[in-house]
Amino acid sequence: MTQPRVSMGSGRPRVEGRLKVTGAARYAADHQVGDVLYAVIVDSTIGRGRITDVDTSVAVTLPGVRAVISHRNAPRLPYLANPLPNNPAQGERLHALQDDRVHFFGQPVAVVVAGTLEQAQHAATLVRIGYDAETPSLDLASAPANEPITYARGDAGQALLDAPVRLDVTYRTARNHHNPMEPHAVIARWEGDQLTVWDKTQWIFAAQFELAAVFGIPQASVRVLSPYVGGGFGTSLRCWPHAPIAALAARELGRPVKLVLSRRQMYFGTGFRPSYEYRLRIGADRTGRLRAMTHDIRAETSRYENFVESILATGQVLYSLPHVSQHYATVPLDVCTPQYMRGPGYANAAYAIESAMDEVAYRVGVDPVELRHRNEPTEDESTGLPFSTRRLRECLLAGAREFGWSERPRAPRSTRDGDWLIGTGMAAGVYDTARYPAQSRARLDADGTAVVEAATSDMGPGTYTSMTQVAADVLGLDMDRVRFRLGDSLMPFAPPHGGSATMASVGSAVKDACDGIRRQAVTLAVRDPRSPLYGADPGKVVVRRGRLSVRDQPARGETYRRLLDRAGRDHLEAAGSFEPPTGEARYSFYGYAATFAEVAVDARLGIVRVRRMLGVYDAGRIINPVLADSQAIGGMVGGIGTALLEHTVTDPRDGRIANANLADYLVPVNADVPALRAIYVRGEDPEADPLGVKGLGELVHVGVAPAIANAVFHATGRRVRELPITAEMLQ
Amino acid sequence: MYPFAYTKVTEVRAALAAGARGGRYLAGGTTLVDLMRETVERPGELVDIEALPLRTIQALPGGGLRLGALVRMSDAARHPLVRTAYPVVSEALELSASPQLRNMASLGGNILQRTRCGYFRDVSAACNKREPGTGCAARDGFNRTHAILGTSAACVATHPSDLAVALCALGAVVRLLGQAGTRQVPIGEFILEPGGTPQREHDLRPGELVTAIDIPPHPRPLTSGYLKVRDRQSYEFALTSAAVALHIDNGVIREANVAAGGVGTVPWKLNGVERALVGQRPSAGLWERAASRAAEGAQPLRHNAFKLDLLKRTVARQLRVVGGGR
Repeated sequence: MTQPRVSMGSGRPRVEGRLKVTGAARYAADHQVGDVLYAVIVDSTIGRGRITDVDTSVAVTLPGVRAVISHRNAPRLPYLANPLPNNPAQGERLHALQDDRVHFFGQPVAVVVAGTLEQAQHAATLVRIGYDAETPSLDLASAPANEPITYARGDAGQALLDAPVRLDVTYRTARNHHNPMEPHAVIARWEGDQLTVWDKTQWIFAAQFELAAVFGIPQASVRVLSPYVGGGFGTSLRCWPHAPIAALAARELGRPVKLVLSRRQMYFGTGFRPSYEYRLRIGADRTGRLRAMTHDIRAETSRYENFVESILATGQVLYSLPHVSQHYATVPLDVCTPQYMRGPGYANAAYAIESAMDEVAYRVGVDPVELRHRNEPTEDESTGLPFSTRRLRECLLAGAREFGWSERPRAPRSTRDGDWLIGTGMAAGVYDTARYPAQSRARLDADGTAVVEAATSDMGPGTYTSMTQVAADVLGLDMDRVRFRLGDSLMPFAPPHGGSATMASVGSAVKDACDGIRRQAVTLAVRDPRSPLYGADPGKVVVRRGRLSVRDQPARGETYRRLLDRAGRDHLEAAGSFEPPTGEARYSFYGYAATFAEVAVDARLGIVRVRRMLGVYDAGRIINPVLADSQAIGGMVGGIGTALLEHTVTDPRDGRIANANLADYLVPVNADVPALRAIYVRGEDPEADPLGVKGLGELVHVGVAPAIANAVFHATGRRVRELPITAEMLQ
Repeated sequence: MYPFAYTKVTEVRAALAAGARGGRYLAGGTTLVDLMRETVERPGELVDIEALPLRTIQALPGGGLRLGALVRMSDAARHPLVRTAYPVVSEALELSASPQLRNMASLGGNILQRTRCGYFRDVSAACNKREPGTGCAARDGFNRTHAILGTSAACVATHPSDLAVALCALGAVVRLLGQAGTRQVPIGEFILEPGGTPQREHDLRPGELVTAIDIPPHPRPLTSGYLKVRDRQSYEFALTSAAVALHIDNGVIREANVAAGGVGTVPWKLNGVERALVGQRPSAGLWERAASRAAEGAQPLRHNAFKLDLLKRTVARQLRVVGGGR
């Protein structure tokens, strides 16, 4: 029996919003843990080499300092293999404070523990580390690459030669750091062999498994708590070295230890979106029908791990193309291992491909939107599978209509507003509909309230709220009768809170648990001669506002409370789970986006300002349009940053991050963010998961940067093939 | 942050005594405290001068304005005397920092603020300004935001203040008070080019206190304004900026005051541009011609050569905005 949708689909405010705006929500470092000591990491000041000396003589004499721990005095830790798939498959993770090797500038090389934060900070500046420095390898263009990942269909080389229209262009994207508001933070407390950690994490189990592996203890001996996450964008999907360092310090000192990375350190020992060099060769006919694409991709990774991400899928599925050749080589450099960042891989691929599509459009004289329509595939040409749902055409049509695309002059540099050149651009985007196994449990109490749990996270998309909506509808309760809890490793297993997989995976598990409870209640009622529902067809019983009734006979029914009271039950409970389909795939699953942007460019002064943007998304069912808008706006703001501002600068001489702060690493401020609008094309994806959702948070970032870059071209007639686009590129 | 002593003074005399024994004056704290956190600054004693009576703006006899050193940036920007007589000062202030910072930061602190050079602010990097003799990591490092004018072998750090650029254009004078008495130093001489001693940034004797900034009288009408070019629209230091104040009488430019920011180790007075303007009639051609002299003597570095053209264009644009004659 399908429950009526009451909460799902409506724009409910965040259930935890009041806690957050009043400061009552406790983020990792906010937890009050008794007897806590404060730890501050000392970072390497060379980009590669060996530590030759650790002089703590001044630091240890300072008031309050309890210990300075480096590889010199740290115990050797087991660092067992971590079975979770969130670390790169190739290579070995950094073993913090275990040896004298320095792999990158800013690597943690020691930790100071003191009675106050100020004491620890001061002492950390007085630890003198001696180095035998080597010259780091940092040049993406010239350093030798790893064995590439390749893909081919057809004969792209020959098809390129045969194509009447050919394009050969290289795009470059800068390294970006996630820069969530909340820095990485951890509090570690040992009780015997039991470790409790309050962590900032997008995956409770990433922290649990990694700490268990580092210390060689059972996973069950590590409890991780993370009820609130102040933004993540991917940086907290992995357990970075500061967490084992905090746990190590806590164990050595026999006291709880709190460790918060400084903003500067957020650029050091944690990952980043790697920079890319993306050469694209395209062959098309004179009508703009694509024939061939060859992708030669280089991306930075560390020397100790091989970080790879989904850079190839876009080139395989976005357009109909008989001939594709892809060559993706990561380049080991003396840097920290990169990390997934919003729209990982897909966003970079979309920038290259969608910029190139814009170039093709001008080359053949076809409108950019029309060019996308002309190359729409009827199936996933990389697998031959049908798309579960693919509404990119609808996205393009709705976007063009709502944006006013038809009024756009075709020729670049044809609209002026005073000193400003005005241009519009668009880009398509695609993102994998990720789903992973997930579990949940739910409990309905006799007073008609419910508690639902899963060990997931809410880094900002509104998981607390959307899960409450799902549970409320499936149980037939008002939202304020349902409490959703997350962020504790004792709760049922949840997958990484990333890849836009949470709604589909955890949401489906929540639905399953709540379905289980409702079915139990219905069964109790229809079998109970004292119930008005006795003998009713269970398939026709629905629950609304805590009252069970026969669908067509609303008067025939009773409340959960009466039912449970009479049955002598103080609660019902059920476990739920979700397993994505296994075995041979029947469909190709992706979400789709069309992003439109208008920019104003003061070409004399090299200033680019985004004037308005519109994103149209095929993300399946939208559980909460208010939260969805929040995601979409955030994704577009992030895209403005990628396109025009964000650039982690590495000094090639020593690997120093030259702008490791938010004054020099620029993210958009309010003044940079104009009117942003999101539209969701109607329709669910019943093949994807029981909720019919395809994921939104990643998708909304994909295609933003190329839409802006294409608008800059339309405004100025100048094609910049590098992000971010800054003043010196437009002179 | 290194430990320090904290003293709060309520009288100028007490401040000077504390300054004479090596105390560092603390006003809004928006630069000094940041740099203390990074251990770039390590004062042994902070002397909190917030309570000193240096918080007024007054008209000077014969024209001109006296701006108290402790006037908040936000208060100065919206003060009617400033806004009506010297829009260039209001605009420079309002294009600086963020509202929260402008509500804290003082005018005296603003002109004394230290460079944003990332190597200066990173104590693990070589920096002659922070540690004389260690070298300049910026000269061959990442220097997109660094200076092209007034640089030396020892230092290429940009002076970050917008206000100082406007004051430089207007020929403002810094009033100083020490135990030996008062001094008045034109702002163009007060802020020092690095030369071989980049650690010495101001003509400020030990313990001297900035008490006020005087803007001298200018012939009226005076039209003025400030243009700031930067990557994002707010809360960023200038790539280039231009402060322009023109006295145009009977269609002829009788007085021109032009200075540039974001390009110099100090606020950069554009004397050549001013000379090209005086006696001329406003026209699009004049603005371009005059502005073409803006980058005279500039020495670009690896990542900031774009500033040469950008500076000329910034000056030309702002001459047009202020002087009209499109």
